[in-house]
Amino acid sequence: MIRLFNWFRRGSLERGLDRELQYHFDRRVADLTAAGIPEPEARRRVAAELGLAHVREEIRDVWLTRWFRDFLYDLRFSARSFLRSPGFTAATLLSLALGIGATTAIYSLVDQVILHALPIHDPARLVLVDWHGDQIGGGFGSWNLMSYPFCRDLQKQTRFFEGVLCRAEIDVNLAAGGDPKPVAAEIVSGSYFSVLGIGPALGRIIEEPDDAAPGAGPVIVLSNDFWQAEFGGAADIIGRKLLINQHPMTIVGVAAAPFHGVDVGAVPALWIPASMYAEAIPGAEDLLHRPTFWMQVLARLRPDLTPAQAQAGLQPWFKAWLQDNMLRPGFPIISADRRRDYLASTLEVTSAPQGHSPLRRSLSQPLWLLFAATGVLLGLACLNVAGLFLARGSARGREIGTRLALGASRGRIGRQLLADSLLLAVAGGVLGAAVAPLAIRGLIAFLPHELAANALRGTLSLRLLAFAFFASVAAGLLSGVAPALHAGGDSLVSSLRERAGTGFGGVRLRKCIVTLQVAFSLILVIAAVLFVRTLAGLEAKGPGFETSDILSFAIAPVQSGYSRADAARLVRRLHEEVHALPITRNSGAARWTFLTGGSWNNAMTIQTDHRIVTDNVNLNAVSPGFFSTLGIRILAGRDFDARDSRPAGEAGHRSAIVNEAFVKRYLTGRDPVGVHIGLGSGPDVKPDITIVGICTSFNYRGLRDDSAQAFFPIFEGEDAGATFYIKVRGAPEQAIPSIRRLVRQADPRLPTLWFRTLNNQVKRSLTTERLLAALSGSFGALALLLSLIGLYGVMSFVVTRRTREIGIRLALGATGASAILLVLREAVIMIAVGTAIALPCVAALGKFVQSQLFGVTATDPATIAAAALVLAAGALVAAFIPAWRASKVNPTDALRLE
Amino acid sequence: MPSSRFPIPQGTLDMLILQILSLQPAHGYGIAQRLEQISRSVVQVNEGSLYPALHRLQQKGWLRAEWKQSETGREAKFYSLTPAGRRQLAVEKDSWARLSRAVNLIFEEGSR
Repeated sequence: MIRLFNWFRRGSLERGLDRELQYHFDRRVADLTAAGIPEPEARRRVAAELGLAHVREEIRDVWLTRWFRDFLYDLRFSARSFLRSPGFTAATLLSLALGIGATTAIYSLVDQVILHALPIHDPARLVLVDWHGDQIGGGFGSWNLMSYPFCRDLQKQTRFFEGVLCRAEIDVNLAAGGDPKPVAAEIVSGSYFSVLGIGPALGRIIEEPDDAAPGAGPVIVLSNDFWQAEFGGAADIIGRKLLINQHPMTIVGVAAAPFHGVDVGAVPALWIPASMYAEAIPGAEDLLHRPTFWMQVLARLRPDLTPAQAQAGLQPWFKAWLQDNMLRPGFPIISADRRRDYLASTLEVTSAPQGHSPLRRSLSQPLWLLFAATGVLLGLACLNVAGLFLARGSARGREIGTRLALGASRGRIGRQLLADSLLLAVAGGVLGAAVAPLAIRGLIAFLPHELAANALRGTLSLRLLAFAFFASVAAGLLSGVAPALHAGGDSLVSSLRERAGTGFGGVRLRKCIVTLQVAFSLILVIAAVLFVRTLAGLEAKGPGFETSDILSFAIAPVQSGYSRADAARLVRRLHEEVHALPITRNSGAARWTFLTGGSWNNAMTIQTDHRIVTDNVNLNAVSPGFFSTLGIRILAGRDFDARDSRPAGEAGHRSAIVNEAFVKRYLTGRDPVGVHIGLGSGPDVKPDITIVGICTSFNYRGLRDDSAQAFFPIFEGEDAGATFYIKVRGAPEQAIPSIRRLVRQADPRLPTLWFRTLNNQVKRSLTTERLLAALSGSFGALALLLSLIGLYGVMSFVVTRRTREIGIRLALGATGASAILLVLREAVIMIAVGTAIALPCVAALGKFVQSQLFGVTATDPATIAAAALVLAAGALVAAFIPAWRASKVNPTDALRLE
Repeated sequence: MPSSRFPIPQGTLDMLILQILSLQPAHGYGIAQRLEQISRSVVQVNEGSLYPALHRLQQKGWLRAEWKQSETGREAKFYSLTPAGRRQLAVEKDSWARLSRAVNLIFEEGSR
């Protein structure tokens, strides 16, 4: 360290040394002349005694070890030579910065979404406990769902676990004085914070007594971010009462700062104990005792156990538990077959240091794909830099040859070249890291807004910087190794003998590099075309209903303290008022929002001359006019109308409309109108619902969805809330104020959950596809550009080298066209070999991307042909320019080159 | 220049410098003169290796240097021992004594 410091003050060190040695020299000379030796003779003798140059060099070695000093000199030399050729420097720097910046940005998302362990105590021991088999019984939520009683029972298995927690993500209406607004929350068991090892930043966390009995803990803990954002970090927040879904609850604490819940994609503003389920999830049945599946169960393993050991050890207990569970109130009556499936269920215990996250599930494959693509792009950039270095190496052939002749070792020169590429790569890395935050924010902007706002960060972490640094060094070595080896391998005599400007071969190596570049970029271009076609295909197909001029908004009155019957009344009233607005052309309401990825689904029983039980059918309840508003055609039978409505409070379905897909799957060859169906699959299900109509198929969960669907009338019985779809006159946004006014008039305390145009909703549902298409498209374009530059460079070089030969050919009567062909032939070989390398790779990689595609297979011949054609056309143009120049060679000039 | 004096053993130059400086601070030329006196009678010191040795010892923290007026009135770089240097001298003296005792013992055994 001191030594490195010495490098920076070497000026003053040198001056000091000069003075010191000068003093010695002068004194010695004075002494010698005093002894009678003439001064010139004395001076000569002293200089010989001291050996000044040698002493200086030795002392410099004391200041800074030799290799390090050499390395620093190399770097300085590199920096100077780079400054002398700014064009070359800018080109290489830019390639590397692009490659490193892009890789770092994607890695940031990979790290945040997939790799990053939760900021909790010892995350390595956190496991997810999941059910494998037939769960029996209803539920709500996303993945890995378990019941609260199961969690309670699992907590007694202390042989395996130090603690067990359960949690679910919910939305609640929060009122803190002003207008109520929806916020994300996590409803958790009393063990939640202690199992994770999270303490309070203020006050206390949720504890066991809060979750002891239904209604025992009307308390909430705020997340640190929410506390800062909403309450300005006020210290006197403890003890304040807030209204959650119109129920007063007391803030007892603020969780420690870095913790944002166990799901990276759903950041809660606050935590509520599970004992408050009735207030937090209005209309829910007894969630604490009934076998309803709605929570994820996570546990902390005992230190000496692996997840596999815990899983094996738990099975006997679980078998017994399955039997007991059938005796629980609310357990459905089931057939012998299903009972057998149910009893064959097992528990899965998997390591979950990153917590539970549906977002990770949906994004991890696209993110890994993009990460691989940026890796290839970085490799391409390195190859480009290596090619440029080789080109520069040939221009510097004389210099290097001279240095070799003067006695520099080949290793020393190779090291110099490596220092060149390392310096460049690290500089490129710094540049890349500087633009990475911008790129990350750009990436996040592709994702749904809630996520961007809460979960993902666009800042550089230390981990990210370390990653960028390693990527840079790797890139530096990768792009420097070929030229360095090359410099070590050429014959000195031949390089000195060669003429300036043409020296130092390396053409074969450069051709190999360009061939590889062609292969890499063809792979990326094919990927880009596949993803762009997927997005275009989905957009062209659309959701199967009209999306233009349609506005949607949602309300959830039960979260504002309504009973389900009152909520149903409000939905009806609003539906009528919205329908009567002058700006409305047509409108409808639905219980569940379309195109969000989720759905209400259940098995159905169909009663014809025999009884069939369907797989899960996607269900919804809609108002009269819903289908016509969205332009969905009724193919047979009729739409819902006043006949299907029943007074609010009276539950049960009477009539249903099913879609074409439903008919095709379950009712082929008969007239579906009038068929009786029932909701559910048990032997006790009464098929008392009549199919009154058939509608065309359209997408429910997302644009790829092609499911059997059944619709019930919304105006029968109770409801929690609804989403309204309104076809408006003019721009949909203009309708927002008048609708907001309507909702305010109906209930000033009732928040509107969102306003969205359907076009927007469709766009949102294509987030991942758009991300993949846009990024792979730009990566493909960049890759193409890089390899074309590489090809152009090497072809120009070839032409320069062969100028004389071409000149002679022309002088002997060859035509310009034949000169062009001569040069192009080499380019064509490189393109052909590159393509031949790429195609098997595409075939092998295809299965990894297939699940992300739509309407096109990964090895679609047309796509591959188009991509290859684009590449070949570009490459020929890049090669044609130097070839054309070759044909314009003036034979006399070429011969005079000698 | 052939000489009857034997060359200074490897590593002892550092010890001699420390010893000379333990008596009083001195500049490079002063140390050289003192070494010259010693070497005239016993050993031969190459003046070229003096300055690298001084800088090495300074880097190790055994010497400190400051610019002061010398006896001729000109500024010279004076070296003096640091406490660490003083400890090092003791260590070297001790190990030297042990080494020479051991060598003597072996020689005596051989001559007996």
